[in-house]
Amino acid sequence: MNIREETITVGGVDVHTWIGGQGDPLLVLHGAGGNRGFTRWMRAVAERYTVWAPTHPGFGRSGDAEWMDGIDDLARFHLWFMDAAGLRRPHVLGHSIGGWTAAEMAAMSPGSLDRLVLVAPVGLKPETGEILDVFFYSPQQLRDMTVHDPKTIPEWDELYGKPPTPAELEIAERNREMTARLTWKPYMHNPRLPRFLPRVTNPSLIIWGREDHIVPVACAEQYRRLLPNATLHVFDKCGHLPPIEQPDAFARLVADFLGGAGR
Amino acid sequence: MKLYYFSEMPHHEYPDEEGDKYPSLRLAFPNKFFDPGKAAENYQRYFAEYELADQVGFDGLMINEHHSTPSCVDVGVNMTAAVLGRTTKRAKILILGNILPIEDNPVRMAEQLAMADLISNGRVLSGFVRGVGVEQWWANSNPVHNRERFEECHDLILKCWTEPGPFRWEGRHYHFRHVNPWCLPLQKPHPPIWIPGTASPETAIWAGQRGYTYVPFLVPFEIARELFEFYRQGAAEAGRTATPDNFGFLICAVTADTKAKAVEAGRHFVWRMGPTLRGPIDWFQPVGMRSRAGKQFALKARPRSLSTMSYEELLASNLIIAGTADEVADKFALVHRELGVGHLLLEAQESRMDHETTARSIELMGAKVIPLTSKL
Repeated sequence: MNIREETITVGGVDVHTWIGGQGDPLLVLHGAGGNRGFTRWMRAVAERYTVWAPTHPGFGRSGDAEWMDGIDDLARFHLWFMDAAGLRRPHVLGHSIGGWTAAEMAAMSPGSLDRLVLVAPVGLKPETGEILDVFFYSPQQLRDMTVHDPKTIPEWDELYGKPPTPAELEIAERNREMTARLTWKPYMHNPRLPRFLPRVTNPSLIIWGREDHIVPVACAEQYRRLLPNATLHVFDKCGHLPPIEQPDAFARLVADFLGGAGR
Repeated sequence: MKLYYFSEMPHHEYPDEEGDKYPSLRLAFPNKFFDPGKAAENYQRYFAEYELADQVGFDGLMINEHHSTPSCVDVGVNMTAAVLGRTTKRAKILILGNILPIEDNPVRMAEQLAMADLISNGRVLSGFVRGVGVEQWWANSNPVHNRERFEECHDLILKCWTEPGPFRWEGRHYHFRHVNPWCLPLQKPHPPIWIPGTASPETAIWAGQRGYTYVPFLVPFEIARELFEFYRQGAAEAGRTATPDNFGFLICAVTADTKAKAVEAGRHFVWRMGPTLRGPIDWFQPVGMRSRAGKQFALKARPRSLSTMSYEELLASNLIIAGTADEVADKFALVHRELGVGHLLLEAQESRMDHETTARSIELMGAKVIPLTSKL
């Protein structure tokens, strides 16, 4: 597969971007853990779609954007990114804070996006339960809380098996700082988002893990209810990282949904 | 060298084994263990001790503020300053300090400090601090903005004190369209400003640039000297020369009629070094609160955390000083020789140190120590 990395400059920020695959464009927005690049699920989806996976400003190898104050800023930024990259009406898939970002983008400019895949997105205040305060726990503690069962994850060793290098630790700290910048208060949600979502008529797929200890699965039902054209899929025995925890089933689900009628 | 009396106003009024059940005494230890009756009694005695310190000749009375912790139930340092402004007569009131990054209304802060300065007839020394991480959690204030908010809050307070209103403030973090405080400090151009430090070189440089009094807290002498060098660097940038009056140092100290009694009393300080600082690193230093330079310096400044040091080690490193009045005076002279500071801040009551012990220590300091240290 033809996978490449590019730096695309958007609004004065250098955006490190993974690009690969063939077919209609799919913009993939990563979660707070950072951009993992072409992992197994993404390689599978890239058989049918051209995946564009930018690293958010302030994360990984992208430039700083200390002026950003919230996820709405990041959403605006990724709409600019689509222009800069020449993506016309791409499908958008976002995970966790990337899912929230995708939802805000759709609320800002529904006509600019095609289909929407929201994977365990934050962004809504749970009607029951609470979004885990991820900054209150160490990265080591969080790793254990994030997935349901490491033993069932095919890429576990590849992704988490080795102790992180100093450079990786530095990037992890930077990712955490930028996440705090974007999500600290109101914590991981936008109180106005429930007002916006009913305007988003794009076909939408919501995906969740039933054992998600970071964002309550109750939020899945809230998203499904608020988005007029949404379906929900909940994976059993799965935590907050469905794309990593069940990559093959996840990739099939996503590719089938994106291939549905209505473009 | 001037001496300052300080108590954190602890609330060590619960069984220790209960506190041990939680990841930290801060944030997590349930407030069902807060005893209002005991707290009411304690405030009376803590204020009485400050008043005694004023009477026996301490140059200043230091107060501080923390939240969601039994280690310090002085939760409103400007309230404390106002009370001391009325119940004490001559000592300076060293507020060290107001936690600027978590303050949402710097104009109100400027007014309250002005009021305390007026009530005390111009005795306020106004310390500004960045706070420990716990306060960021308490206030739900984004730690990523800690330094920016510290500086902007400071700038607005100074403007309130030094420039005539009405004026407008449209900053990065603070926005006020009609600033015109009808309460201004007695001291001109404004109360002296003090800044504590434990690890951030940036803070020392920043204080030096402005000529503020800079006070490292409970660090080894060599680290304090290094921080003072950063201060001098900042002072030089601004064309200033630092004097001993620009430098202070904080340690724990107690004296008694016998050495044995003093050493026994000094054990109470171990609580503030250990149990009250226990907790997850992310609670004390949340993400983004410290710069990379600050983090690196902190590792060097505290190769060992205070909580891992035994009482004997804390005594040997002079972070706790406990002895007869003569011995204590000698140690204070040593601090003065080693660091050249003009101000020595004494955390002089802690944990369950009782009133009798605390008051006797204050009396002995007044009678036998202050006459010696005041000549340094």
